[in-house]
Amino acid sequence: MSNAFKWIAIVAVAALALLPFVPGAVDAYYFSFLFFVFLYAIMAQSWNLVAGYGGQISLGSHAFFGLGAYTTAILWTGNYLWGSLYDTHPGIYYFDPVTMALGGVVAALAAAIIGLPLLSKLRGDYFALGTLGFGEIVKVLFVNGGDFTGSAFGIVAPAGMFDTLRPHYWVALGLMVATALAIGALMRSRYGLAMIAVRDDEMAASANGIDVLKVKVAAFAGSAFIAGVAGSLYTFYIFHVGPDSVFDLDWMLLPLMMTVVGGTGTLLGPILGALVMYAVFDLARIVVPDYHPVISGLTIILAMLFLPKGLMRSFAGKARLA
Amino acid sequence: MANRLLEVSDLQVAYGDVGALWGVSLHVDPGTIVAIVGANGAGKTTLLRTVSGLLKPKSGDIRLAGQSLVGKAPQEIASMGIAHVPEGRGLFRQMTVLENLELGAFQPKARPRTRELLDRAYALFPRLKERVHQKAGSLSGGEQQMLAIARATMSEPSLLILDEPSLGLSPLVVQQMFSLIQTLHGQGVTILLVEQNIHQALKVADYAFVLKTGSLAMQGTGAELIADPEIQKAYMGALE
Amino acid sequence: MFNLPPPDILLQLSLNGALGGAMYGVAAVGLSLIFGTMRLIFLAQGAMIILAAYFVRALFYGLGIDPFLSLLIVVPVGLGVGWLMYHGLFRKAAAEEDRNVSLLIAVGLMFLVQNLMTVVWGGNTAGVVTSYTATGIELLGVRTSFTRTMGFLIALAGTGLVMLFLRKTIVGKAVRAASEDMDAATLMGISPHRVNAIAFAIGIALAGAAGVAVATTFPFNPFAGFIFSLKALVALALGGIGNVTGALAGGILLGLIEAYVQFFISGGWTNAIAYGVFLAVLMFKPEGLFSRPYKKA
Repeated sequence: MSNAFKWIAIVAVAALALLPFVPGAVDAYYFSFLFFVFLYAIMAQSWNLVAGYGGQISLGSHAFFGLGAYTTAILWTGNYLWGSLYDTHPGIYYFDPVTMALGGVVAALAAAIIGLPLLSKLRGDYFALGTLGFGEIVKVLFVNGGDFTGSAFGIVAPAGMFDTLRPHYWVALGLMVATALAIGALMRSRYGLAMIAVRDDEMAASANGIDVLKVKVAAFAGSAFIAGVAGSLYTFYIFHVGPDSVFDLDWMLLPLMMTVVGGTGTLLGPILGALVMYAVFDLARIVVPDYHPVISGLTIILAMLFLPKGLMRSFAGKARLA
Repeated sequence: MANRLLEVSDLQVAYGDVGALWGVSLHVDPGTIVAIVGANGAGKTTLLRTVSGLLKPKSGDIRLAGQSLVGKAPQEIASMGIAHVPEGRGLFRQMTVLENLELGAFQPKARPRTRELLDRAYALFPRLKERVHQKAGSLSGGEQQMLAIARATMSEPSLLILDEPSLGLSPLVVQQMFSLIQTLHGQGVTILLVEQNIHQALKVADYAFVLKTGSLAMQGTGAELIADPEIQKAYMGALE
Repeated sequence: MFNLPPPDILLQLSLNGALGGAMYGVAAVGLSLIFGTMRLIFLAQGAMIILAAYFVRALFYGLGIDPFLSLLIVVPVGLGVGWLMYHGLFRKAAAEEDRNVSLLIAVGLMFLVQNLMTVVWGGNTAGVVTSYTATGIELLGVRTSFTRTMGFLIALAGTGLVMLFLRKTIVGKAVRAASEDMDAATLMGISPHRVNAIAFAIGIALAGAAGVAVATTFPFNPFAGFIFSLKALVALALGGIGNVTGALAGGILLGLIEAYVQFFISGGWTNAIAYGVFLAVLMFKPEGLFSRPYKKA
């Protein structure tokens, strides 16, 4: 990354962080809009990590997102973490780093457990199909989870701590930046190089002493961790965690699409894709409310027909911003 | 010479680190066997795959009987008269011997004559006739190679390209393979042959080109190259 | 553990399962063809089936055309739509190295079709009720529904015709060859675009046939298709990816599994168990349950 670019990024993040302080500049709509852009950007980074950098097309992101969301809701409503502190500090679970990290950890563990057999046995399309099946199984497990998961209705978390979305906005922005920085650092480290090596040529990577399976499972689990944290974040926004909402396939399909539109295997592509595509969808929702899902479908098709290599590669020239 | 069948000029292909070509020119005259020899990674397979359209060249020209092949899709090049038996044979292993042969005559100009072409193939490869309804994947290595060549001849190509036909075969079957190549040559088929079995290849070849790390190192008639001390030292030393 | 029910109940269960499963099977045959040549998981297949069901419904209520007779319209239209769909939407993406591109076009198409149906026909559940909808017939000594039996026969006939095409015609053989090794197929002079377009045409025509079966047996809504796509994928994996008769058999097997799970365990677990079987097959028998491996030389 060039120096000038680094400064632009820092200024942009600072401006976004300070935005809520500008009086009258932004109303609740824009907070919610940007919150979702950040949330989808995190999910897109998650998919990009395993698929773009890792070369394993996963169709199970929604399962990990849902696992993170449920973990958060269960910890919160059952008060499994903070005991009597919860009575004196009722807001303690809001954006609690431990709760959110556990959401990620549960997702990552699930990914490691399912990833080990899947990745050792399946390649390419078969792995993609396997993750899709896994997502459906997890959903059914939660529907049949009885009181623990709230069955088909799900779990309602205590709401109403904040009368503004600013905290959500900042946390989402912070997590998006942290995810991008972490993936950027990872891809410059030898672990990142090992991932690229495995993606580009498994045989050669393994001949060079790289444990291919370990790298793949780690990338899959790392991607699931990010998705789990994103799911946790969503719980603080939506409060009602239900099987049909947090395990919705859209949590996998939309980030996948945003990544491809932005540029698979680039660091900024997922963010750019999330911004552009979410803006298009939201605009369609406002302008043509009755037809907006039609417009969404059309946008995906057009983007793929005319920008199959993604925005980053189409407009940023051949420079790899990885 | 004016009536070259295949003329490759200044061909450059970017293909990973190994197998790239850096300005290769060569030619094949009608009715001859031409061999391309060289070490692993010299670019032999890359060259053949570029001729048949599976790879796109960076620059340079490939002409078949005067017509440029550059930019054409493999299926177009196939119907212009090139039959390419790729490395690893490219058989449809789940399909029967008969079906493989029929697909060899898929092109519109050969298809109506499938029956007649089949009979000719059986005459040349009697072993295949016994196994017409067997799946190609169930044949022995030698039979598979025979099938791949028989399939390629079904389109009555003006140029038959063979990539490592002797690879993985026992010495006895390798002998059969080369005598088959000579039989086809006797019937007037023009053959472009890539081989690691350099001695055998140079023995049957009318003319040969030596590739070395993506460039042409030497050329001459088969007999000339066999006698060349440098070739003997570099490629056949240990064998003689 | 549990008492085995009397044999006639078992037979009833098996029959209903098999008849219903054939519909997954016919969807899976289409997926199998498209996956075979393009390596594309065509997630929009279910949406196309529902679209066909709405089309059949419109023909019935609008023009009074009998749903089963409408096969004569739906199937040829499906062939044409599939052909156009390939050339209009997927042709460019097929040449793209990144296969996510065609997967996403399929996803976009699914969104588009689902929501267009909602705009045109509304989001509520619809159905086709004819004079014979409630008719039952005697089959193997068990009473079953006439329309389900017809659906089964349609699936069987559709798969049979596809098999004939693939095994007996040179173009069909070219499609099989391209599914096995596209590079080698192009060296035979086979155009990838041609076989891809044929696979799409047949795939959508089969979606049309499945649409007739769905319209006459189940109530449906614009979003019912996705679960159908997933079930078809399971059937595909059970039967062995790229194996056409296997896909139909896989669908029937899936129907049986669902019927048994529903009866012996609970309706809530059918999907989990179906996908569990799916994962197990992918991992331990990726060539499918019905393939006979030949000895490698």
